[in-house]
Amino acid sequence: MLQTFRNLQQALDDKPHILHLGRLFSETVLIEVDGAEYYLLFEKGHLVSVTEGPSRKTPWRFALRTDADALARFWKDLPEPGFHDVFGLVKTGRGRIDGDILSLVKNLRFFKEVLALPRATQGEGQ
Amino acid sequence: MSIEPIVGRYVNVTINGVQQRIYFEEAGQGRPVLCLHTAGADTRQWRHLLSDAEVTKTNRLIAFDMPWHGKSLPPEGFETQEYLLTTEAYVDTVLAVAQALGLDRPVLAGCSMGGRIALQLAALHADRFSGFIAIEASDFQPAWYDIDWFHRPDAHGGEMGAALVSANISPHAPNAERWNTLWMFMQSGPGVFRGDLSFYTRDDSLIARLPRIDTAATPVHIIVGAYDLTCTPEDAKRTADAIPGATLAVMEELGHFPMSEHPAGFRPFFVDALDKMPAA
Repeated sequence: MLQTFRNLQQALDDKPHILHLGRLFSETVLIEVDGAEYYLLFEKGHLVSVTEGPSRKTPWRFALRTDADALARFWKDLPEPGFHDVFGLVKTGRGRIDGDILSLVKNLRFFKEVLALPRATQGEGQ
Repeated sequence: MSIEPIVGRYVNVTINGVQQRIYFEEAGQGRPVLCLHTAGADTRQWRHLLSDAEVTKTNRLIAFDMPWHGKSLPPEGFETQEYLLTTEAYVDTVLAVAQALGLDRPVLAGCSMGGRIALQLAALHADRFSGFIAIEASDFQPAWYDIDWFHRPDAHGGEMGAALVSANISPHAPNAERWNTLWMFMQSGPGVFRGDLSFYTRDDSLIARLPRIDTAATPVHIIVGAYDLTCTPEDAKRTADAIPGATLAVMEELGHFPMSEHPAGFRPFFVDALDKMPAA
């Protein structure tokens, strides 16, 4: 899972339009998968580091908590209903968003397109 | 080069004492079908069906922009008003437009909040219509988001609204139509999406009215997409079950904006719905 998130760094840098969407986004996002923590540090849209937890010292702006099976289904090219969007995960009880939700919503298209990068469609579906 | 058959005009009506200049589009001839757009959008959602020669051969499709939406201006003095749509105002607007256009008992087809109001009209003013096609429509769901997110001075409500509603679009939707659908939300006026959602997510008056709908007099057909997170197939089924005689179709590969996000996928479901409505 760590490598999957680290692969986002180059994938994101290869997508200028997504970088442009995130040009004002410099925050740390916690993604928790089956209890394992991954801290994604963004600076002006670039994903500059991905650090494994656990950590009680790393501040984060918002968090997505989910499980590996849900993410695998989310990353399918044509996901099933409920697994097609981060809010679908939340609505079906397979994900939870904590922290500064308004920060997420202000940068929602950016975050959704970053999170969808592992899809074969490279985020176009978001 | 091609020129589409859609014709757009304006009708001036007084609704609850307020003058409204309303933009409408139409195409076709025959049985009138009045089409209602979703929250935060406009008539462009219906453009593919209005350009469908087979559908418009026997159906006169009419779609209008609600006040504050699309090419319908907000009323005079809007700059000091907070836009908050209500069930009553929406019902009065649909009735006023139908009357102003001289529509004789049209079929009413609405999506999302338009579907909700179609069911309200089925309960309250069925004599003014011949049948109801309620798309992504249900009795009531509270918001799973904060509607105030979409109207604030430090962020672009349209871009946030589009990013949120993309959750309701099917991954089967053609990419171009997904983004054409989202563009309407990006263009929505400040506070308009929020004002639409205020009634959609807070007014549950339809629940008690559903059993009074007489589908023997005016059929009700509900259509819902499996990828709709806002009005889920479970929401639509619960609603159909509460209306004696209502029929329901589930579209496995579509979402909350079917006529716009995936025109080809939606077409057979809409044609089937029209077949269930009385002939002109």
